[in-house]
Amino acid sequence: MNNIIICRCEEVTEEEIREAILSGCTTVNEIKRKTRAGMGLCQGRTCRKLVEKVFADETGIEMEKIQPSTYRSPVRPVPISNFEEDDN
Amino acid sequence: MGRGYDVIIIGSGIIGLSSGYYLSKSGKKVLVLEKKDIGNGASGSCDDAILLQSKKPGIVLEMALESIDMYRGLSDELGTDLEFMSPGAMILIETEDDLRIMEDFVIEQKKCGLEVEIVGKKQVKKKQPHVSEGVIASTYSAIDAQVNPLRVMFAFANRGKELGMQIKKNAEVVSIDRNGSGDWTIGTANGERYVAETVINAAGPWAPFIGKMVGIEIPIKPKRGQIAVTEQVPPLGETNVWSADYIVSKLNPGKAKKREKVLEDLGVGFSFTRTADGNCFIGSTREYVGYNKNTTFEALQIMVSQAARFFPVMNNVSIIRSFAGLRPACQDGKPIIGEVATLPGFFIAAGHEGDGIALAPVTGKIINNLVLGRTNSLDIEELNFDRFQRKEGGVA
Repeated sequence: MNNIIICRCEEVTEEEIREAILSGCTTVNEIKRKTRAGMGLCQGRTCRKLVEKVFADETGIEMEKIQPSTYRSPVRPVPISNFEEDDN
Repeated sequence: MGRGYDVIIIGSGIIGLSSGYYLSKSGKKVLVLEKKDIGNGASGSCDDAILLQSKKPGIVLEMALESIDMYRGLSDELGTDLEFMSPGAMILIETEDDLRIMEDFVIEQKKCGLEVEIVGKKQVKKKQPHVSEGVIASTYSAIDAQVNPLRVMFAFANRGKELGMQIKKNAEVVSIDRNGSGDWTIGTANGERYVAETVINAAGPWAPFIGKMVGIEIPIKPKRGQIAVTEQVPPLGETNVWSADYIVSKLNPGKAKKREKVLEDLGVGFSFTRTADGNCFIGSTREYVGYNKNTTFEALQIMVSQAARFFPVMNNVSIIRSFAGLRPACQDGKPIIGEVATLPGFFIAAGHEGDGIALAPVTGKIINNLVLGRTNSLDIEELNFDRFQRKEGGVA
């Protein structure tokens, strides 16, 4: 069995990602929603490309044709105290 | 072209998938047509709460009570852990004026069968040790629950597929025509044609576009709801929490006028829930910005500042993401569920606004009963689409 960790934050393995694709996931966003790969602290900065590679390998779709998962702010973890109104 | 399916459902959000699952379970041959992919719309960009306390007494609260009962057994039925939990919920109250209005609201809800009470400051502190001193009282209900909407959708989809349900993604519906035998022919953007006896419009905020294809105006508008997501943290208190401020402003228009304009314009409430994984969802807004799903710094700043105001310890917690979903809102605050009188075989199950997750199981069950011609235990007459036609003096 292939237990290589793809998403370190959420500890999602390559096998779990392949299983998600076999169960019907057809986009990397769906894989994320199904497995939580990319939902952790780094928001996919480490695993985004790896998930896309597994997806490409499993489906035969070329890497450049894969729609990346959605990017949202903040781009890195920001403490709530830093959101305070800046008067300067 | 012959009939390929008994039922075609437009939209694979939580309402469409729930309806599809229950109809497949009843032996119907079901096809679900999805414009994009599963979880792309409102059901995949919302929080995890099943909050009964915010519901006005009436049909929506009755449906929510039945739905929560269904959720209790649904993990076993679908063979997936849906992360259903009942931690209860509290609506935090900061002023004497809000307290008086919430006391009356609680009395009305109790009459409707909801177990809810007002608790004093000491009790609030006990259940929420980190709450700020500004909170003078709170409501409390043990029944309020939560569930992972993504897990619910994938579980309905997978169990449905095992029962024969088909789901076609990237299949945007572009035409709906009634053919000679009374069946419906549905055309998609990629040129496919499907025929069924029954069509269910479960397209959420996009339901009006589907309505136009059969010549009806469905009064559902998208309201953007933004949510901030925190890193994973231990539980702050026993329950999920909301603030009374927004709920009171909905109940009492006089209060709405006194609220800060920016809060009213963005429709900012305060919701604070913690998922099974430990991430907290801090919400939320209700904005009329068309189909724009972007998040804004202005709203995030207001929402996370509220979290820090109610729970100062949250200042140390980091936000890792934001997202926004389009809540399909009906003008009278109730969903549309039922067959369109002038279009036999064409049903609508949409317009749940912020209650889609809470009401998904019961909506699926009701749709299943309606399609099968069975009677529903709840009187859902007032949810019929025709309520809008009557108001406008019989347009159809």
